[in-house]
Amino acid sequence: MALLAIDVTDSRPIYVQIVDEVRRAVVVGALKPGEPIPSVRQLAGDLGVNPNTVKQAYQELERLGVTYVERGNGTYVAGGRALREDRASLAVGVAERALRDATRNGLAVEELIDALERVAKRNARGRKP
Amino acid sequence: MSMLPMSIDGPTAIRAAGVSKRYAKRTALDRFDLAVPDGSIYLLAGPNGAGKSTAIRHMLHLEEPDAGTITVLGHDVRRDAVRARAEIGYISDGEVTPYGWLRVGALVAHHAQYFPTWDAQYASRLIAELDIDLAPRVRALSRGEARRIAFVLALAHRPALLLLDEPTDGLDPVVRERVLHLLAEHASEAPTTMLVSTHLVHEVERLADHVGIIKKGRLIGQMPRDYLRGTLNRYRFDAPDSWRVPEQAPVVVVERVAAGRENEWTMWGEPGVIRAMFDAGETELRSVTPLTLADAVVALLSMEDAA
Repeated sequence: MALLAIDVTDSRPIYVQIVDEVRRAVVVGALKPGEPIPSVRQLAGDLGVNPNTVKQAYQELERLGVTYVERGNGTYVAGGRALREDRASLAVGVAERALRDATRNGLAVEELIDALERVAKRNARGRKP
Repeated sequence: MSMLPMSIDGPTAIRAAGVSKRYAKRTALDRFDLAVPDGSIYLLAGPNGAGKSTAIRHMLHLEEPDAGTITVLGHDVRRDAVRARAEIGYISDGEVTPYGWLRVGALVAHHAQYFPTWDAQYASRLIAELDIDLAPRVRALSRGEARRIAFVLALAHRPALLLLDEPTDGLDPVVRERVLHLLAEHASEAPTTMLVSTHLVHEVERLADHVGIIKKGRLIGQMPRDYLRGTLNRYRFDAPDSWRVPEQAPVVVVERVAAGRENEWTMWGEPGVIRAMFDAGETELRSVTPLTLADAVVALLSMEDAA
């Protein structure tokens, strides 16, 4: 299953990576509102991850309103407002990681933003014939 | 005296206190302490010959300690070893059985009789997933084949506690991966405590939620994985050559790497305290990165060398 990818060398704890990956899957539409997410057993087995870590991630997802639990029936993807808000917070997460990487390389925020705009423009041009 | 934390809160599946064992002139365990929380996956890590296997054998009362007490699942193993063993699945670093003339299928059937909780359906599933041939005689098996059978024997009675001594030893990379996934699945199907000893720490990076470090027969520290992740980090920062950690700071510098003004130090201490230390000096903190479990174990052992 390539829906979720975990990297043990990533600086985020594994449970945070699972939370981020599920949110990403929802935002990009790989998981749709109303669809079930894998059971703890299935995901723990698939990823070879401690089931308590998966449980911790699922509790966090529920708390964030990304998913909801139907008693005895599993966990499902929520829709609506939480989903729209999640696009924004997903963007914040990406920005934070990019900024950390920039700081590590001795770059100022302005330099990063400037480079982002230039790269985006160049890519947009590249897509046109 | 160790500078690493030792105390573990809450109910424990295994508790060892002051266990010592000498063989002739060699000290195998030296006032060994251990607390494995209920339902945890606990990594016991340490150099070769540190006493990992000896400690595990004591938990089954396969060795008689010279001193100390061991409680496993509420049983004092000195008095109640038989009852404790009935609730334990054990993968040893030795041979799977003394009955080498048995065929694999007969060995599994024989083993099943000893455990009222034996789950035949689960056993069949494991046999299929681990690609085990039931026909050959046990003595004709390779090390890896014997190890796969040991997994079936240890897991299929759904014990409350698994003692896994170098569980992936002799397995090829594909089976190794499969076994680690089976263990994760196993733990999510029924509440199970696992004590894993291995020198291949990276293999249990995703599984372990507690870690204990054993050295020269002594436990020098044990803590939750999350605590370790919060307390041991790599700090990348710019600072002049002359910069030092202020004296009295509750911080241990485990490793220093420098290239010009750029430094990468591995440090043990409260991240808030360490950040404040950087804010106060003529330094600029660029990044803070946690260590992988494998790197953390090496760092903890080297901290102890320096102490």
